[in-house]
Amino acid sequence: MSEELAGLTVGLIGAGNISHVHVAAWKALGARVLVHSLEGAEELSEQYGLEVVASLEGCLAEAEFVDIVTPSATHKEITLAAIKAGKNVICEKPLTLTAADAHEVIDAANAAGVRLYPAHVVRYFPEYKAAYDAIRAGRIGEVAVARFYRQASSPAGAGWYREVARSGGVIMDLMVHDLDQARWLCGEVTTVYAAQNPPTVDGISPVNVAAHVTLTHESGAISHCRATWGATGTTFQTGFQVAGSTGVLRFTSEADTGYKEELQNGGAGGDLLIPASSLGESPYLTQLRELAAGLRGGPEPRVLASDGATAVYLAEAARASMESGQPIDMKTFVSSGAVA
Amino acid sequence: MTLKVALASFAHVHAGSYAHLLAAMPDIEVLAADPDGASAPDPGPRGAALAEAFGVPYVDTYDELFAWGPDAVIVTSENAGHRALVERAASVGAHVLCEKPLATEVADGEAMLAACEAAGVILMIAYPVRFAPSYLQLRANVEAGRLGDVFAVLGTNNGKIPYAARQWFVDAKQAGGGAMVDHTVHCADLIDGLTGGASATRVYAASNRILHQDKGVEVETGGLVTINYDNGLMATIDFSWSVPDNGPTWGGVSLQVTGTNGSVEIEPFLPHVGGTDANGQVFLGIGGNLDEAMVDTFLDAVRTAGPAVAGQPPAVVPQPDGAVGLRTLRIVDAARRSAASGQAVDV
Repeated sequence: MSEELAGLTVGLIGAGNISHVHVAAWKALGARVLVHSLEGAEELSEQYGLEVVASLEGCLAEAEFVDIVTPSATHKEITLAAIKAGKNVICEKPLTLTAADAHEVIDAANAAGVRLYPAHVVRYFPEYKAAYDAIRAGRIGEVAVARFYRQASSPAGAGWYREVARSGGVIMDLMVHDLDQARWLCGEVTTVYAAQNPPTVDGISPVNVAAHVTLTHESGAISHCRATWGATGTTFQTGFQVAGSTGVLRFTSEADTGYKEELQNGGAGGDLLIPASSLGESPYLTQLRELAAGLRGGPEPRVLASDGATAVYLAEAARASMESGQPIDMKTFVSSGAVA
Repeated sequence: MTLKVALASFAHVHAGSYAHLLAAMPDIEVLAADPDGASAPDPGPRGAALAEAFGVPYVDTYDELFAWGPDAVIVTSENAGHRALVERAASVGAHVLCEKPLATEVADGEAMLAACEAAGVILMIAYPVRFAPSYLQLRANVEAGRLGDVFAVLGTNNGKIPYAARQWFVDAKQAGGGAMVDHTVHCADLIDGLTGGASATRVYAASNRILHQDKGVEVETGGLVTINYDNGLMATIDFSWSVPDNGPTWGGVSLQVTGTNGSVEIEPFLPHVGGTDANGQVFLGIGGNLDEAMVDTFLDAVRTAGPAVAGQPPAVVPQPDGAVGLRTLRIVDAARRSAASGQAVDV
């Protein structure tokens, strides 16, 4: 364990999909992990050697800070409870399901003197960080046209993902990563145009669905995000191409990782919902180490609560664009506050 | 039976490819004219000198070309010149293969279809990517239902700016626009072929001129267009001239098609041997000559159809036909209006 994280006790709230990679990272960092969850806490605890805490209050009382990995619709309430208890917070993306809620929790955190970091892990994937650094260094000149994509086996066949009021749908849940990337790599957004097919009907997301969102940026750059909840068994894939005035950067997770598997029996196969991490350090570990160090008074991490709020705001604008059939001007866009 | 095939203009860079193919074919007599070549601003030969390099006979004027009595005409002029040449071909009863895009304005395209219909001649559009083996495999899979219901397509046609060889590509008047006009139509054609001719209902486009600013270009050089179709399909096409001038190959096309049973992605120009030589990256394309398959399809149809009879449809309508050309032109036209207004355009 690193010096800066010595003696760390993390309160993990939630025990679903993403909890596994967070727990693995916390254990690798040498942290003691308390887990509180309405479901699955015992199983997770047995698997990784954690300590189950029956109540949220108990978890908040004993933990140095909390790591919230619950379904998206509960992020706000649990974050506010942690803030009220005076505990710093790491919260899985999306920070909340509306920008208004995001600003409410940010204001509450500021008022209480509590730190709040959203877990936008893609900023910690080495391919995206390398592109960010190269663009900042001027390697491809002025960014002109960027494309990002992200696809996963659809989680919307059952459970809370299919309820747009709880997950936000494919744009809020999946594309929010690339909305943040588009802004990180191309700058602040001026307009948002979105299309989704098939459309959401009565607040229920289609199981197989794709969304295409075009952003224009203050710099004049244009970016495009494609997010797909694909057929069952679709392997998780991401990638990007960023074209600038003097060069192009591109990455695809299918081809550019330096490891290809062709095993007939007992092959692990790709993960369907969470990206297979690079073979080096887990980006989740990189992320949680940087965020934890920030919470302990270290340097500010590369992603702040305001970034999480903006990503949610862009996803809301995408929904508004789909409703109107027209691009949304971000200078004047006011979120309705509706979650679906 | 020997066919007489006229090649009208060397303005388009593809004219060379067609000329070489035609010159090597048995039973084809070819004759070319490039009367506007002398006034083009580009360096390098045009007109008689270029015809000699291509190895094809040459006449100085379109009057002589059309008086020759061609069975078929391949139109490879600047985009804005397509209408006049296609109408002239129709007027002498010659079947037509017209370089893409069909025209620069929808009204021109409609007039061209009407002229060819009245004359009973074939009007085929030069969309060679339709003939790529990877596309044919994709289309067979879609038609066999192996993708399930197709609901989204992401197409890219990124390439180098076609600037050094032919400057009219960046002249809005001659080309109809920049990269948006040059590159949107290829992917739009591939989608048209997958859907059996679905029409666009809503089009949104964003474009900019950040790429190639150093060349003083006044047309759009990059951007994206998102299309909703009347069959429910959603598609986005990246039409940017975003392959740098020093890239190892001109560029390429990709089409990522997603259905309820999975997805297929094709890159028809990707098959290649790579490597490095003294000049940098090596890219030896091995994807075959798509122009050859396209020209063969056209000429087979011309032979089968026989001489045109005014007022009667040709016995064979090779694809992609003028109707595809017009549907894809309508998408480009809507994209131009959308990019100019900043609003989505209902078609």
